[in-house]
Amino acid sequence: MSRWAKQIQMQCNIPAIGVASSNIVHYATGYVAKYQTGMPIRYVSVPFPFTGQPRAVDVGYVSGKDMLSGQPLMSAVVAALTGPLTAEEKISGAPPEEALESRLLPPDSEENLRMLFEDREWTDFNSIILPTERRVTEMLKGTSHKPDEVIKTINITGGARQLTVEKVAISAVMAGASPAHLPVILALATQAPFGNSTSSMANMLVINGPIRNKLKFNCGTNAMGPYNRSNAVVGRAFALMSKTAGDLRNNVNAWETLGNTMQYNSMCYGENEEALPDGWDPLHVETGFKPTDNVLSVGTGWSSIASVGASQSIYPTHYLMRDYMSSFCASGSAATIVIDPTVAGLLKGVHGFKTKAQLSEWFSQNVTKMNASYWGNGVIQSTAVPFALAGLEPYASWRKLPDDALIKPFTNPKAIHVVVAGGKVQTMWFVTDFGIRRGVKIDDWA
Amino acid sequence: MTPRLTAAILLGAFILVPALSSHALPKYAQKAPSVKPGQDASASAKDEIPFPQVPRITGEEVERIAKEKGNVVLVDTDDPEAYAAEHIKGAVNIAFDPTVEAKEQDQLLSALPGDRLIVFYCNCSHEEDSAPMVLEMWELGYDHEKVKALKGGLTRWEQLGYPLAGTDVDKNQEKGN
Repeated sequence: MSRWAKQIQMQCNIPAIGVASSNIVHYATGYVAKYQTGMPIRYVSVPFPFTGQPRAVDVGYVSGKDMLSGQPLMSAVVAALTGPLTAEEKISGAPPEEALESRLLPPDSEENLRMLFEDREWTDFNSIILPTERRVTEMLKGTSHKPDEVIKTINITGGARQLTVEKVAISAVMAGASPAHLPVILALATQAPFGNSTSSMANMLVINGPIRNKLKFNCGTNAMGPYNRSNAVVGRAFALMSKTAGDLRNNVNAWETLGNTMQYNSMCYGENEEALPDGWDPLHVETGFKPTDNVLSVGTGWSSIASVGASQSIYPTHYLMRDYMSSFCASGSAATIVIDPTVAGLLKGVHGFKTKAQLSEWFSQNVTKMNASYWGNGVIQSTAVPFALAGLEPYASWRKLPDDALIKPFTNPKAIHVVVAGGKVQTMWFVTDFGIRRGVKIDDWA
Repeated sequence: MTPRLTAAILLGAFILVPALSSHALPKYAQKAPSVKPGQDASASAKDEIPFPQVPRITGEEVERIAKEKGNVVLVDTDDPEAYAAEHIKGAVNIAFDPTVEAKEQDQLLSALPGDRLIVFYCNCSHEEDSAPMVLEMWELGYDHEKVKALKGGLTRWEQLGYPLAGTDVDKNQEKGN
């Protein structure tokens, strides 16, 4: 909000303030303001939540008091827009920099260092391997890339941070990885940090290519469970590098209201390529890579619904998947269906889906959702409503439909991915609302 | 005796490295330079087209496809205020912000329909702000041939006399009347 308000002020010469709800207004007035000089965006604050409330409640907020100053809200708005600059607001020049820390901490006891890491939230609060210079040097042997090579620059409120190979190696050590894992974790770093949204999102990491077997990623029984080192450490490294390089700290600048337990290891697993039915390509091949490429694909979403029990002949498996998918918000048509090889076999052999793409197309054509339910989602409101108002189809037409009309919200079959994993122990599957981005080639980071 | 780590602990992951020089300019004021320092606009145009891997489409071609098939989605990458003032008629707005990662716009970008030609445009000389959005669409899995950048952007569209909308356009029409 501060950014947009600044733009209005600077580009349009229109004085602007922010009206933020009480839940996170201190982020804007504290953390964000700390790294600015000159006239900051001033704020007034209303109670939270204001969405989902009867109109009378929101009207009451406007006619009530500003939660920051205690003044009547509209008086506070006028005061914020017209009040003279304070001495602090008159300070000009470059905003303050956070004090740079030494690359090396002074030696200390292991216990003290662990406490330090926890105090600064350089951890996921499971025990970490402390990244000694020797361990990091050893980790760096896993790649031909130089330690100071910049993988990407991450913009954070305090400035911009360069994520280097060495920094990723530090996270890899902390996560318990071996040097052989480093290329995978470096590929992952190109997608860091993970999402930081009040909506409490998470990620899914899918490994494809021969490296699955070389590093013994689990693609079979318990592929998504805590039964495998490679799955565990790569997934964990994502959380650690996201928190450290992304400077994410709880209630300071990380505001995921519930959080998401999937963030601990980002659902890291390998696709069971060997068990794919004939004609079903691995995920990375479907997105344009060669079968021999080693690829990491990163998905982002919130939710997962399991079949719970075995597939039944009285109701085809894909019908049940379709029904469960209708629970998702369908933002961006995103869905990823993770299925056991036995289910893949049924879908192909019994139900005739010769390719994954055919199955995705079927879902796109057959998942329906009640119109009111679609628009009742906050993410949809913030993405599709502006499009509808601008006349973009199908959103514009959907907005005009009655509440109980059925729409087909998964308009883009290419955004519906199918991944085969699991140990053929049960005809089991998950439907998820994860949208998967094009993969990253792991070989580039060897 | 408490065991001590004889090796120092690396803290590289956590220091704010020299990239903090971005503080010299507040983030909200940063804008990707359309012309590199030391270059003039004509030299830039002649020698270096940003994001050359991104396919361009001319205004004439967009207009033709829109008339014949009606299945073009135009996306204005300017900020909302500029969009409100003037944009290509029928365009939606997804602002390009060089200070944040393009993937922060993924929720919006992925809501664009996948079955139509999507054309991004900016009010800039060489598609500096629209071409990165095309790249991001590719990352999201959209067909390469279905997502393009409008060559010459809004300026060229205006020169061609094709339809525009927005508050500035309305004002000009009122003046004309």
